[in-house]
Amino acid sequence: MRKIITITFLAILGYYMIILFQQIPFGDNRMNVGRHYLENTIEETGSVNTVTSIVVSYRGFDTLGEVTVLFLAATGLGAILFDKRGKKRRRQNASSLVRTTSKLFYPLIVLLGAYVFVHGHLTPGGGFQGGAIIATGVLMMYMSYRRFETNHKALTIIESMAGLIFVTIGMAGLIIGQSFLENFLPLGTPNTLFSAGIIPIVYSAIGFKVGAELTGVLDTLLKTIR
Amino acid sequence: MELYFSPVHFIAVPLFAAFLLPLLGRISQKLVPIVPGIVLLYLSVVALTLFPHAYEAPIVEIIAGWRPPFGITLIFGPLAAFLVTMITLIGFVVWIYSYRFIIRQPLEKYYMLFMLLIAGSTGIILTGDIFNLFVFLEITAIAAYALTAFLRDHNGAEAAFKYLLIGSFTSAFVLLAIIILYANVGTLNMADIAMRMSDVPVKIKLTIMILFIVGLGIEAELFPLNGWAPDAYSQAPSPIGALFAGIVVKAAVYALMRVLFTLFDLSISSNFLIVMGTITLLIAEMSAMRQQQIKRMLAFSSIGQMGLVLVAFGLGTKEGIAAALFLMFSHAVIKSMLFFSAGYLVFFSGHKNIVDLEGMGREKPWTGFFFSLGALAIIGLPPFSGFWGKFYLLISAANSDHMLLIVLILFSAVIEAVYYLRVVGRLYFKKLHDIEVRKTPFTGLLAMGILAFVTLTIGIYPDFIHELVLPAANELLDKAAYLQYAMMGQ
Repeated sequence: MRKIITITFLAILGYYMIILFQQIPFGDNRMNVGRHYLENTIEETGSVNTVTSIVVSYRGFDTLGEVTVLFLAATGLGAILFDKRGKKRRRQNASSLVRTTSKLFYPLIVLLGAYVFVHGHLTPGGGFQGGAIIATGVLMMYMSYRRFETNHKALTIIESMAGLIFVTIGMAGLIIGQSFLENFLPLGTPNTLFSAGIIPIVYSAIGFKVGAELTGVLDTLLKTIR
Repeated sequence: MELYFSPVHFIAVPLFAAFLLPLLGRISQKLVPIVPGIVLLYLSVVALTLFPHAYEAPIVEIIAGWRPPFGITLIFGPLAAFLVTMITLIGFVVWIYSYRFIIRQPLEKYYMLFMLLIAGSTGIILTGDIFNLFVFLEITAIAAYALTAFLRDHNGAEAAFKYLLIGSFTSAFVLLAIIILYANVGTLNMADIAMRMSDVPVKIKLTIMILFIVGLGIEAELFPLNGWAPDAYSQAPSPIGALFAGIVVKAAVYALMRVLFTLFDLSISSNFLIVMGTITLLIAEMSAMRQQQIKRMLAFSSIGQMGLVLVAFGLGTKEGIAAALFLMFSHAVIKSMLFFSAGYLVFFSGHKNIVDLEGMGREKPWTGFFFSLGALAIIGLPPFSGFWGKFYLLISAANSDHMLLIVLILFSAVIEAVYYLRVVGRLYFKKLHDIEVRKTPFTGLLAMGILAFVTLTIGIYPDFIHELVLPAANELLDKAAYLQYAMMGQ
């Protein structure tokens, strides 16, 4: 009975949502803020990638928040699984085919991740994506080699330092310029690596942070499994 | 005049501290509990310095140099000033209490989560941007989930998981509301949205409002979304109970009210708030009466008090909102004191049940004294701040001709008196079980003493707070003025 009520309720809710979304005038000339971003990005932020300019500059404060959310998730996981860490785990080495391929691809994957976050203001991608790519490389190594270890201490230090750099850049904007997270460095020539002021620095910090955090989460979880 | 402090300190400094703590933990474990204290002391100083300026003219801070509506703004008006100052001061007292209470590892994780909880809840109150509000809501909520499970026992994990499920579900609702809102008005600044709201069809407006009420109502402990609260409060460490009651819930209530008052007209939801608030109040008080465990009882009482606050907001008059803010302040102080003293009573007796606390009042005179004081204060007896909160609420209810409401509020106060006095009676007039009696740490007594002093002082001089909440209430009602300064005159 309960299930039937729930399903009926969800069906009504879903139907109503479809009706609602059909009424939303997507594509109309209503995007007040969005239009401004599209037209003025390069001139105002020096970043060729509009998404990046919104994520790191116009709404950089939200990104600081999102970085914190990920940090919180890693911290919370660490706090809850605190006792259980460091237990011996029984895992098997993967086949030699997988191992060799992993060994070959691991540095390339890390390099790709670094490329994605360093070029965040030029090409699609950025700190979160780059960090996630690096963490997948580490996951691949964890799955192929039984004895593969990451240095948990180093991860913590990278994680903390990256976070501190982000907040410090923000505070520097407040001190040198007028407001928190202000782009106080010269914007440079658009479409070159050294442009867009603080955006590449912030994105690299995010890349390191996300990479270290996701790797830390994998490490914590793998050490919990017996 | 030039200000050295700016509102962004309330968010940036605790974030900095949270990122710094793991590094400090590598250098010395002794530094870990001290740094959050310094941060909270600093934030209290910032709050008290900025406070008078906010009452003169609201401070609007632009983030990253983009003027509204293109960037994010922080708005430090009277309402935000009042709530943020309250949060930092309560946070500082919770830190004093935690200093000796939380001794189990991982210490640095506890304080990191604590700092992020403070940053998140002050962020909710300060921000003038609806998506930014969602981000800070997430920060506060995730820190709260992790802190609920901090003791790492079976019950804590269950409570945290329940809280996590309900919490994630409803934050999806808030996000959905924001998506629909953005699709219709094309902007995220709350003042800008409020100005363009007239373009939105009524049906869509109503859907957005319902989604917001459901999403924010859960953290605000609105019935029937408060199922997480009793478990979370009773399984988390005692200082966390105080943080939930004193900070998290207050920030969520603020968010709900900001959305209802500024984005929509209150007249649509006024009756809804009064009815839901009354139901929340009555159900919570009756459930509190049936509780066997002391912290569960305090949790239900907390939900009941939030019901009162929602009713007071629902009245929609200046006196009503002022009464709501007074109630929020007084509840934050008194409930924290109750959680602190109950925390030590439970810790010393080794049991969570009320029956097992019999006779503890004579054995632990100070802790018992503070608990009794808090019980008398929250019921609403005259020399305490709790009295004035209820008094102002009753007066404003009488002024808006809600006579049935007055009867229900007084009825709930009687139930409240019954279950609190029953516990106080057991503390003093029953025989003690065999327990090993230890000394209550000085920091614990100090924290409770400060809160007891505050509730007594405000009880004797209620005008001090009452004069502060009136301009704050005005800010919430005067939408035109808010739009004016939040958009920086554009």
